[in-house]
Amino acid sequence: MLQLLKIEWLKVKNYKAFWIFSILYSFAILGINYTGYYINELTVQNMPASQVILGSPYSFPKVWQTVGFMSSWLLYFPGILFIMLLTNEFNFKTHRQNIIDGWTRQQFVTVKFVFAILFSIVATFFNFLVALLFGLITTGSHFSFLGFENIGYIFIQTVAYITFAMFLAVLFRKSGTAIAVFFLYGLIFEWLITVIINFKLELTPVGYFLPLQVTDVMLPIPFGNKVIYKDAPDVWILVISSLVYICGYYFFALKKFTKEDL
Amino acid sequence: MLILTVENLSKNYGRIQALKNVSFSVPEGTVFGILGPNGSGKTTMLGTIMDILKPTTGSYKLFDEVPESAHRRRIGTLLETPNFYHYLSGVKNLEIAAEIKQHGKEDIDHVLQTVDLTRRKDSKFSTYSLGMKQRLAIASCLLGNPKVLVFDEPTNGLDPVGIAEIRELMKELHRQGKTIIMASHLLDEVEKVCTHVAILKRGELITSGNVNEILSNEDMVEVGAADTNLLQEVVKNMGAVIRVTNDGGVVKLFFLVGTADLTFINNYCFKNGVTLNHLLLKKKSLEARFFELTNN
Repeated sequence: MLQLLKIEWLKVKNYKAFWIFSILYSFAILGINYTGYYINELTVQNMPASQVILGSPYSFPKVWQTVGFMSSWLLYFPGILFIMLLTNEFNFKTHRQNIIDGWTRQQFVTVKFVFAILFSIVATFFNFLVALLFGLITTGSHFSFLGFENIGYIFIQTVAYITFAMFLAVLFRKSGTAIAVFFLYGLIFEWLITVIINFKLELTPVGYFLPLQVTDVMLPIPFGNKVIYKDAPDVWILVISSLVYICGYYFFALKKFTKEDL
Repeated sequence: MLILTVENLSKNYGRIQALKNVSFSVPEGTVFGILGPNGSGKTTMLGTIMDILKPTTGSYKLFDEVPESAHRRRIGTLLETPNFYHYLSGVKNLEIAAEIKQHGKEDIDHVLQTVDLTRRKDSKFSTYSLGMKQRLAIASCLLGNPKVLVFDEPTNGLDPVGIAEIRELMKELHRQGKTIIMASHLLDEVEKVCTHVAILKRGELITSGNVNEILSNEDMVEVGAADTNLLQEVVKNMGAVIRVTNDGGVVKLFFLVGTADLTFINNYCFKNGVTLNHLLLKKKSLEARFFELTNN
């Protein structure tokens, strides 16, 4: 596997888009959390009463969840990146050449997913550093590992978004289509479907189990989530559901790659 | 040892049958041409044995064994088009190919030199001309000095000098004892380079075997003299000749393969009062033979 990862690394090492996306993504994580932090400070300053509702989202232990929630809006970045990494292979027909040169079809798929997991580990670690930073600069906040499990949820959510994007890339093969579907589904249609299932058809919590939604419910908004995600299932159920989805994407890609013409 | 054995291979794309029950085998050390017009199934055939297409029915063996990825690492393959990462340089692309084939980087300079691409090795692949892309693909095939090479239309996109160079390279590889499997729709390419040939037509294998046996079963000798009519009269009665044609003033004599003897013909004509001003041994026109094989 190390040798396969080395080859995957050779593919992205000199790929400008990979670095541009990664750097923008990192700055965006910092930026979106700073924005949240700043607005929260301002609100509390101007309306001290608001703290009753808001709590102190950037203090320990809440900060682990707050950073995770804020950063989750940016998961479309790595999603698009991995759509491009996969559709590049289809466009250049290098997915064929890799097999011709001696990879198995299974190796081609597996190393891409392992690479996505490694990328998610790095992204999660960066989120950890950002949470640590904001937790420490918030006045009256004392370091605490309480709520640290949220870092684990950040990891699962990152993997879930990226692998969902990869699933779309394998399904549609064209970067334009995959990216458009990814955005429209994630930002509009999934919410719509959740609302229809949960409220129109009154099937709560079934609507929470949609592929991206399930990870959003797992790492919810740090205040008022009891209202927004009413009757949400236990978090362990959400974690397991997310993992089932991730495995599903992998096995779908694996099946498509091992059974069909390339 | 047989490098490749294809057994009853069929491949359907929906209702279209790209390969129909094809069987043949490629012995070690041959230059094996797969010849056929466009759309005859050549690339489908090579794609199947490289595991990027799944056969509908039938099977194949590589090196007399059930095929697996390790076999492909021992074969240098150029299939259809040069497939490389557009945003990487030539040399970086070769590093990836070498890693997949589990070879070190030590071959890269040498193979780039072989295809005359050293000067542009650090340019991005996307800036290469069609001919340079093709050269890079051939360089990639040569990585790790494999014993078997598979080339699909290897001279595609090359200029005349490039074509000559690649054909010379293939002859050199053959001299080194390598086995080359080459798909081509160019007759003279197959005739100039290959020792064996399989001819495909609309997915069906028409014939396969030794090039000399398949592509020419007659020798042809062109003769000319001042008096064409007298010449024609004289050669008609000469032994061994199968038939005589007069093609717009050029008299053509046909013999069984290997039986045309120019000295004898010259002597015979001179003794019978005809002085030749033109005497040339030609194999039967390949085009004619190819049309004969692939038509009707």
